[in-house]
Amino acid sequence: MTHGSGSPRTIGVEGLSRVEGEGSLRVVVHDGTVTDVALEIFEPPRYFEALLVGRHFTEAPDITARICGICPVAYQMSACSAMETACGVVVDDRVASLRRLLYCGEWIQSHALHIYLLHAPDFLGCADAVELAERDRTAVERGLSIKRTGNLIMETVGGRAVHPVNVRVGGFYRAPDPEAVAALAEPLRRARDAALETVEWVSRFEFPDVIGDYRFVALRDPGRYPIERGRPASSDGLDLGPAEFGDLAVEEHVARSTALHARLAGRDPYLTGPMARYALNSDVLPPIAADAAAMAGLGPVCSNPFQSIVVRSVELVVACDEALALVEAYLPPDPPASEVRPRPGVGTGVTEAPRGLLLHRYEIDAEGTILAARIMPPTSQNQLTIEADLRRVVQEGLHLEDDDLQWRCEQAVRNHDPCISCAAHFLDLSVVET
Amino acid sequence: MTGTTPRVVVAGLGSEYRRDDGVGPLIAARAVDEAGLGSVIGPLVDPLDLLGEWDEADLAVVVDAVRSGVAPGTLTLVELTGAHGSVAQAGPRGATSTHGIGLAGVLRLARAIDRAPARVVVVGIEGEDFGRGTGLSPAVEAAVPAAVCRVVDVIKEGRACA
Repeated sequence: MTHGSGSPRTIGVEGLSRVEGEGSLRVVVHDGTVTDVALEIFEPPRYFEALLVGRHFTEAPDITARICGICPVAYQMSACSAMETACGVVVDDRVASLRRLLYCGEWIQSHALHIYLLHAPDFLGCADAVELAERDRTAVERGLSIKRTGNLIMETVGGRAVHPVNVRVGGFYRAPDPEAVAALAEPLRRARDAALETVEWVSRFEFPDVIGDYRFVALRDPGRYPIERGRPASSDGLDLGPAEFGDLAVEEHVARSTALHARLAGRDPYLTGPMARYALNSDVLPPIAADAAAMAGLGPVCSNPFQSIVVRSVELVVACDEALALVEAYLPPDPPASEVRPRPGVGTGVTEAPRGLLLHRYEIDAEGTILAARIMPPTSQNQLTIEADLRRVVQEGLHLEDDDLQWRCEQAVRNHDPCISCAAHFLDLSVVET
Repeated sequence: MTGTTPRVVVAGLGSEYRRDDGVGPLIAARAVDEAGLGSVIGPLVDPLDLLGEWDEADLAVVVDAVRSGVAPGTLTLVELTGAHGSVAQAGPRGATSTHGIGLAGVLRLARAIDRAPARVVVVGIEGEDFGRGTGLSPAVEAAVPAAVCRVVDVIKEGRACA
């Protein structure tokens, strides 16, 4: 294939493998310069926002959980937080701890899946996880073992491993038996050891020498790593309440794309997710995770997107360690849920999904009917930053053959683990050169 | 076989919020109930979640909506040879799956680590509408009772093969 000036260059692929969801990537090159990059993403939250209007406020956690098969707990937690804020309810400490434990289970599931089955093959010259398993069965088994521990937490606390059913506004339908929770301790100790091995494993990968100029946005939760609560903060000094952040975060339609692009009003695009969480919270890592990060050579901030796999592995240690501490301190909440009576109002909830900050905002009436819903997932917030990464990758890789360039683009997208959607389809890539 | 009582697991793949994509979990749940099997795996939107759930089963029945060009509601049974035989090479995404990682890829992965079921039977229901929304299209809805009966038969055959 020739790529000379004037001859359109098009790379067509069935889809972007190892990324959840569907979408398309279109790159326009003019006289050897990338002039436009458009990552189009189908976003199910848009549909769910409309679906929620008219439903009862207690239905939001279970309905929104179905947006994503990978991170249903994140949707449940942000929905509960928003509704409880709207209704003026603060859950007790035991409920809060149990929520954090459940959320740790989801982090463990999601991070293990992405590290071992979706991202690691990029660094080891494997086409996919199957090839990786054929070449390094021990590694894949370790990853699946960690993921199964996440499943165990989800089953024990959430009622089942996929799409947990035990979460409700105000708390839980049923508090898990102490014996069942205590039984999680030993698997978690093994998972924590395996997570430490994971950090060591990925830290030996070879990473391109790339430094991204990122503006990080993540929650901060004083004294501990943010998961199920916190205040939105940024690497350039923002410190906002959830509602203020929701007001400042503007989602825009861009003419060339059907997807919404989030940015903070009057400011540059930003990045949320593991790299952002780490950059804003590395000072509150649990000691065992801080030691692992140091061993892996991470400083207090990591700006190389390819090293996101190392950061994600450190967060795997965080989640296992946090979960173990919560298991050992578990006291069943009694009652398992606070009573939440509807009242007219607006509530905003923010939590840290595995892929980044997830915001829900609801307006309800006196009967608890949802009047308006807004869901801002991490991927729409990261979209502009992912496009900026892609622009750089394509510009630096225009000399590459189509397959190699496509591979580089796929890696650039996978670095940020976008949850484009669940139950969805493909990403088509085309590069048009004029 | 690994014992006198074969272990049979049934999974439903798909999302009820993508119309006909939700038919797999619906049929799987009803069939498991009618067969008295206990619990169903799913609804799963990612076949990767089968890992750990179907490990070393004697028979795994996976019910999923498919899109192959035949009449909506058409039932197709495909037996994928599991732990010991061959399975058609497929990428991480199976061509007939609406999900992120295809069933064939997951089976290959399970085989690579010796966690695959001995047998995998895929029960495919041809879908018509995979758009956003709930509810099945009429032709697919009409095919559900017969599909449930067929899955129940497969479960019973699997349990009888001690």
